[in-house]
Amino acid sequence: MGEMTIKAEGPEFAMERVFNAPRDKVFAAFTECEHLKHWWGPRGWELTACNLDFRPEGAWHYCMTCQDKSQGEFFGMESWGKAVYRAIDAPNSIVYTDYFSDAEGGINEGMPPSDTTLTFEEFEGGTKVISRTLYDSEESLKTVMEMGMEHGIRETWDRLDEYLAR
Amino acid sequence: MVSLLRGGPLSVGEIAERLQIRQPQASKHLKVLQQAGIVEVEADANRRHYRLRAEPFQELEIWLTGYRELWNGRFDRLDDYLKEMPD
Repeated sequence: MGEMTIKAEGPEFAMERVFNAPRDKVFAAFTECEHLKHWWGPRGWELTACNLDFRPEGAWHYCMTCQDKSQGEFFGMESWGKAVYRAIDAPNSIVYTDYFSDAEGGINEGMPPSDTTLTFEEFEGGTKVISRTLYDSEESLKTVMEMGMEHGIRETWDRLDEYLAR
Repeated sequence: MVSLLRGGPLSVGEIAERLQIRQPQASKHLKVLQQAGIVEVEADANRRHYRLRAEPFQELEIWLTGYRELWNGRFDRLDDYLKEMPD
């Protein structure tokens, strides 16, 4: 469907995209493991662990594993994430805090968390998803940028590297 | 403040006036931006001008490109999955 738009304003990122499916369905795709495992994660990465307690202050603890041999050194790599839901208004919106995590669910205190608000709007027969992610300061955002990438963004940097080396 | 400085260097007084905040408040904010390497000061006679540094914005651009690609890939997969997802 539509192209995604993304913009940064200070320590906040906003992005939106329209999906050609009813809102209840899109909302379920974001909030249930049986659906998340089909799409969450970069291409070639699969959701290999998913524990989701969908209620305020409940946690979603998950692991993405690279299962694509062509991704070289990333093959077999695990990336753990943990989100804690702060507010749920089904099927309109979800607010959660995103943490850097380990396999035991421990939170990496050295890395700044971010708060994300996901909004689901009925839009031209489909659903517009708006995601707003806020770091607590520009300094935190900078820390995240400097340490590079979790969640497979690293892969993009490598591709940029290769591209620049041409 | 950052978007204001996109228009060119400004003194702390000018920034405070345009944002309608008090000067000490503007100075405090500028100090944080300066420590984060986002703005730099240029001294000109007895006036100090603050201006944006280009480097962090190039970094941000690169980072945003990565972020955009990550989410685009993820959302492409969601788009595909929604077609086969049971109602």
